[in-house]
Amino acid sequence: MTNAASIDIPESATAADYPPIPEPNALTEFFWEGVANHKLLILRCGACGKYIHYPRPICPNCLSMDDLAPEEVSGRGTIYSHTTTVQPFHPYYVDKVPYNLIIVALEEDEEVRITSNLIDYPNDDIRIGMPVQVTFEEVAPGLTLPLFKLA
Amino acid sequence: MSKRDRVAAIGVGYSTTGRRTGLTRRQLVAQAAKKAMEDCGISADQIDGVVLHAGVAGAEPPGLDFIDALDVAQMLGIMPISFYNSDQGGPAYIHAAISAIAAIQSGQAHTVLTVRVINQRLSSAQERDSVQGPMRIGGDSQFTMPFGSVTPIQTISALPAQRHMERYGTTEEQFGAHVISQRANAALNDDALMRDPLTMDDYLNSRFVSKPVRLLDCDYPVDSASAIIFTTEERAGDFAKKPVFVESAALSATDILPAGFEKVVDLNHNSPYHASELMWSRTDLKPADVDCAQLYDGFTIIVFQWLEALGFCGEGEAGSFVESGATRLGGSLPVNTDGGACNVGRRHGANFCIESVRQLRGNESGERQVKDAEVAVWANATGPFSGAVLMTKD
Repeated sequence: MTNAASIDIPESATAADYPPIPEPNALTEFFWEGVANHKLLILRCGACGKYIHYPRPICPNCLSMDDLAPEEVSGRGTIYSHTTTVQPFHPYYVDKVPYNLIIVALEEDEEVRITSNLIDYPNDDIRIGMPVQVTFEEVAPGLTLPLFKLA
Repeated sequence: MSKRDRVAAIGVGYSTTGRRTGLTRRQLVAQAAKKAMEDCGISADQIDGVVLHAGVAGAEPPGLDFIDALDVAQMLGIMPISFYNSDQGGPAYIHAAISAIAAIQSGQAHTVLTVRVINQRLSSAQERDSVQGPMRIGGDSQFTMPFGSVTPIQTISALPAQRHMERYGTTEEQFGAHVISQRANAALNDDALMRDPLTMDDYLNSRFVSKPVRLLDCDYPVDSASAIIFTTEERAGDFAKKPVFVESAALSATDILPAGFEKVVDLNHNSPYHASELMWSRTDLKPADVDCAQLYDGFTIIVFQWLEALGFCGEGEAGSFVESGATRLGGSLPVNTDGGACNVGRRHGANFCIESVRQLRGNESGERQVKDAEVAVWANATGPFSGAVLMTKD
């Protein structure tokens, strides 16, 4: 299994070759392991049912600590907001602007918001409320990210 | 609270302000603090508290000196002090002001010097080009930065602005109307750095940073320090300038930073609403009593959020409210009469406290004076954390 935590980056790789690379820790590694296996996993409280994203060691709703477990979600949602970034703020984006950034409200709980990119769709036509579906893309050698397509 | 127990702002001052001044934090703070002390004729031994809020708001320039409230008190000869706070995070100057106000109200100090010092960040291109090799990112940002969410311009400004436009029909021209209006105010302010009038064409031709946000929607990064001295109502009459009173004040946090900007439950209906509700609950005054509003303009959308949150117009109506001319000088609610941080330079809210004091003193604002101004509100920050202060002339 490929884990984003342990992706090997070629020694010759430059800042322009990779976007900022997720560095998982004990709380977040399930998410990136899921992504590597093409599953979207969100932490959920087994005691009260609340989805908890970003991952936390305690449920903010019922303070349960022992019943929290990753759960695969549908990967469906709607676009909550979006922007098309024109100025590159990181070396990776110098030859990629303009690029879009979307926030997805997840179908299972619209308060779970996932930041991502919409692929295979013109930036200027993106609108709030559009239904989207997760897709897993290797954006750079060894680095898979959960991106979205129109549903 | 009885009127006698109010907190008053008695002295205000700015440092030299500009791009890459070469001045250290110590120099900037010393200049601003001395100006504020001279403004009201106070001596060091009459001050017993110092709050310093220092920051960069981006990548630190080389050679930055780090100082705290104790450094400030020591170099100005204010020691001994009974209250101090040196916050680097939080919602900027409002945090310093409310910390001082709370200290005075509780009796921990009677007179507090507050300072916001900001050093101009590295430029975006300098920061970008300084990235050495692939970057690994932990914390909550591991869920945002890999997708290219790498600057507050996207999260604090573009994402909420886009949602405001699509949800309420807010237009680019309405954002532009605010930018043009506050630049016109800056033309009347000797402290402003950007003073040339703008047209709608100028605004619409301003380059996009992250749509719909243009360069002219962003505050102006500078080296600056701003100082305000607060004291008790009992002591407030002892100084050179007419005091201005804190009628009510409120601080709010509703979510976390930095990644929280993407996931706050509502990008446009958030802590400014909570802060506004608290502020109004602590006074008998109403939005209609306010003569001028000084609203944080880190980005244009934030001014719109505050106009709505404070109740000056309905939710989603800030665009038409601004477009009507109501927020211009001479309108029913002049906004950002000093020109705002886009034009006086980034001060993270402190300029809005200072402008409120000057407007309410009634004789320091020249051509931009709001006639018969008796009540002013100023507000700072947005999204997950913010605050607002209502001030009165009498």
